[in-house]
Amino acid sequence: MSISAQEDTTSVKEETKYTSSFFETTRIVLGQSIENPEHGKLIFLIQHHFGRVNTGIYEFFGLDQATIRLGLEYGINKWLAVGLGRSSYRKTYDGFVKAKILRQSKGARNMPLSVSYFGSIAINTLKWENEELENYFSSRMAYTHQLLIARKFSPSLTFQLTPTLVHKNLVRTIEDKNDIFATGVGGRVRLSKKLSLNAEYFYVFPNQIVSRDYDNSFSISLDIDTGGHVFQLFFTNSNPIIESGFITETTGKWTSGDIYFGFNISRAFTLVYPNDVW
Amino acid sequence: MEHQITKHGSRVFLAILIILTGWGLNSCYYDNVEELYPNPPTCDTTNVTYSGTVAPIMAASCNSCHSTTSASGGIITDNYDDLKSLVDGDRFWGAINQQSGYSPMPQGAEKLNDCKLAKIDTWIYAGAPNN
Repeated sequence: MSISAQEDTTSVKEETKYTSSFFETTRIVLGQSIENPEHGKLIFLIQHHFGRVNTGIYEFFGLDQATIRLGLEYGINKWLAVGLGRSSYRKTYDGFVKAKILRQSKGARNMPLSVSYFGSIAINTLKWENEELENYFSSRMAYTHQLLIARKFSPSLTFQLTPTLVHKNLVRTIEDKNDIFATGVGGRVRLSKKLSLNAEYFYVFPNQIVSRDYDNSFSISLDIDTGGHVFQLFFTNSNPIIESGFITETTGKWTSGDIYFGFNISRAFTLVYPNDVW
Repeated sequence: MEHQITKHGSRVFLAILIILTGWGLNSCYYDNVEELYPNPPTCDTTNVTYSGTVAPIMAASCNSCHSTTSASGGIITDNYDDLKSLVDGDRFWGAINQQSGYSPMPQGAEKLNDCKLAKIDTWIYAGAPNN
């Protein structure tokens, strides 16, 4: 890129400086961050949390139970990434695409925000509750569409807004909406070169989920970058780990102590060395 | 060169978007249980027994993790004696009702439906007999 810029003009031309490192990794806590796996890099992600801390000493404050998602995500090029995962919550398989639309930049091109699209499909593979009914495979599926809109205000402060649409093919009652609109807000405060504090909150707009209890998801995490790995130690009130779950099926309440402690571990492997390093 | 890559990239991007949108719309349904299954079986909570009612629910939803051979968290639900001591021990009802302060069960799955819970409630209320 810099070569072509130099060739284009003999006079001093301003270069575009793209902002990078909005977040340590591809997740803020549970939700997607604006970061993609870099071109040619495969990220192996272990997302894991224990049971509720308010179950007390008998359950060792939740450590007797675990919910886990194993995931792989790959940067196909500098703007497109794909991922696959399997969570223990409802034995769910998921696949996603994540595409960069705009990149925050300064210089020749001035762009105040980075914007990406995230779309995922989740397939619940639990046994049918009632096998005598005519059950449809489509009833297992849920979709999530998100716009990730982020701005890095300073080297230590990033903010992200995440308008979200979750579609469920099957809901319980006529009053329940198949399309559920929500919005996420999240951010990162960098404490040092290796440490960041992240938080995120998903607000589900009212009167969409009627037949069951739910609560909005709120999570905080401490990110530790060890060089090769990123560890995220977090607290959340959400049991599910994938988007269609934790945004619309969170039942824990922070005020009642229904808090799960967990950690994400992500490790990047370089599969392809791109010529066009950015 | 740079321009060609950019042009090519945006075409591929458009194609992928169109394919994904098409697929997404195709497999999108707006179903709900009430309309899809309009005649739900009525919930009969008479003649509830351990062997005929409760044990099959445990077998379908609990025993895969809580059997005598692999007792997650030390909890066993696949025989009467262990289940009875669990019921008497007071954590059972809170867990299967997914109440605050209890481990929501079955873990990672849908809560047992109202009818199953009503049957278990009836059985516990009758003293959780071995019948």
